[in-house]
Amino acid sequence: MTPHDDSLAPPDTYAGQVLDAQLHLLDRQVLDTDGVPVSTLDDLEITDLPLDVSLRGTPAPTIANLLTGVTLGTRIFGGRPPSSRLTRIPWRHVTDIGVVVTLGVSGERLDATWPERWVRDHIVAHIPGGRHDPE
Amino acid sequence: MILSDLLNRPVLDAEGRTLGKVLDARFVIDGAPTQLLAEARLAGLIVSPHTGTTFLGYERTDENSPWLIAAFLRWRHRGSFYVRWEDVEMLTERGVVLVAAYARRSAALSTSIGI
Amino acid sequence: MKQLLGVALGILTAIGGFLDIGDLVTSSVVGSRFGMTLVWVIVLGVIGICVFAQMSGRVAAISGRATFEIVRERLGARMAVANLGASFLINLLTLTAEIGGVALALQLASSIEPTLWVPVAAFAVWLVIWRVKFSIMENVTGLLGLCLIVFAVAVFLLQPDWATLTGQAIAPSVPATETGATYWYYAIALFGSAMTPYEVFFFSSGAVEEKWTKKDLTQSRINVLVGFPLGGILSIAIAACATIVLLPQGIQVTSLSQVALPVAEAGGKLAVAIVIVGMIAATFGATLETTLSSGYTIAQFFGWSWGKFRRPVKAARFHLVMIICLLVGIAVLATGADPVMITEYSVVFSAIALPLTYLPILLVANDKQYMGDLVNGRATNAVALVFLVIILVASLAAIPLMIITGAGA
Repeated sequence: MTPHDDSLAPPDTYAGQVLDAQLHLLDRQVLDTDGVPVSTLDDLEITDLPLDVSLRGTPAPTIANLLTGVTLGTRIFGGRPPSSRLTRIPWRHVTDIGVVVTLGVSGERLDATWPERWVRDHIVAHIPGGRHDPE
Repeated sequence: MILSDLLNRPVLDAEGRTLGKVLDARFVIDGAPTQLLAEARLAGLIVSPHTGTTFLGYERTDENSPWLIAAFLRWRHRGSFYVRWEDVEMLTERGVVLVAAYARRSAALSTSIGI
Repeated sequence: MKQLLGVALGILTAIGGFLDIGDLVTSSVVGSRFGMTLVWVIVLGVIGICVFAQMSGRVAAISGRATFEIVRERLGARMAVANLGASFLINLLTLTAEIGGVALALQLASSIEPTLWVPVAAFAVWLVIWRVKFSIMENVTGLLGLCLIVFAVAVFLLQPDWATLTGQAIAPSVPATETGATYWYYAIALFGSAMTPYEVFFFSSGAVEEKWTKKDLTQSRINVLVGFPLGGILSIAIAACATIVLLPQGIQVTSLSQVALPVAEAGGKLAVAIVIVGMIAATFGATLETTLSSGYTIAQFFGWSWGKFRRPVKAARFHLVMIICLLVGIAVLATGADPVMITEYSVVFSAIALPLTYLPILLVANDKQYMGDLVNGRATNAVALVFLVIILVASLAAIPLMIITGAGA
């Protein structure tokens, strides 16, 4: 069956940018405003929906946060991290979505980069030459 | 909630018959504008009767090369369709339940959009 | 003039950088046991690596995405983590073999125990990765690696019976002393050594390191399409040397000195000295490449900051991974494990991991979102698909053949 199957209603078209989560968002590289890698986009958090209640008339959920960190583990091996353990990058930081997801802020201050900062401050910065450009 | 809670969930019609699994979630950036990018609202779900794992989106684009791989993946996803969010009745433990009068739409992505 | 020099430098580096411990050992082992009857596999492997290295370089230059980012994105988290596990372990195995190779080559030069050379070699590798610029690192090891041309010279000096040599190569048959199963086992090993996945991880990440753009594509294409086949010819020359000298005497290749033996017979001490320099450069260069590849694969999978173009503090986890990998390599070799054996296993395992690496590259090279107008042409796709089938067959056959033949015994 091809995408142009006659038995289906024609595809919807939209005025805005269309993003299929698996296709255009998940597992993409996230860069900060200076083009420095922050993390991969491991999962998305969308605004909450009630279970077992008719959703007719409720506004559609929206993307609240990009997720990274522990959620990668649960995506691969199953299970579900408690909400408090999620590492979030708020959607409002996103400026562009193409081959990569670009943020409008510096990665330095995001929770998602604390392991990088920890390794830098406690190990790599202490090795001679670590702060210099290669020659 | 987390998106992976939605992906791969069974999709049921109003009578409780299984139609397939959620293959992907389609978002559109046309919501209320915020500081940098407008909100991305969930526009609908792509449902596949055969597999819950999407692969590369060949089923949704005109991408046709390499031909052999494109053909194989199209076949794996034969019968997949798109339902608007408005056609979702409720979320239950069993899966996503659609309204009685839901419409099966083509899941095709216009190749010029979404880039 | 300057441009021409650049092109020449690129080609020479590609030739010198093509060979690593896997090619040295496998080509020699195969030559000493099967003569020239497996040369067709080297040709096939070289064509394959040309097709996919060129493709991964093009993807990296156009989209700025290196291979493992693409693997992650196209295969999804689950399959990509399986691929990461396999690729990373095989790369670690190759890395260990390469450090061992440097130590063995240094032993040839100094007659000091290889186990003593291992930490020295690993430290030197780390120092280069920590402090030396990417382009200098590539050019120096690549140019010194050109010393291995002595193998090609040696073939002529040995004045072989050309008719027999070419006859074996053109109309291959399983030698009477070997079984069909070992023949195909070594065919896969040879194929794996030519197409090792680290080469594309390294090649595509290198394109990002050196900030390639569309403009650099012609240069990269020439490097690959001229440099790699010439490197492949050196591989064939090594096999030919082994065929001429080692096969008739029934000498089994169990160390690097046997690999160099035909050169000693052909050209004496001076030739051996040059070959040793070439071996040190080739294995040292390959250790750099595999060490960097271990950092590239992990960092790209998790989306960390990576690259030698950044200061180490700006890619902290990337550098930490490489340090750990080098330490693991040292630890494995400290147990007295034989680098030649490790090499033989690493090339076969490479063959097993090939499909999951090369499929995503092919898919992204066809994706207009990444490539714009520069997507693959029909001819490239056709060749790539044929290779994907070959890769898949080799990958599936590797383990059964390994068991049947007792790893080629």
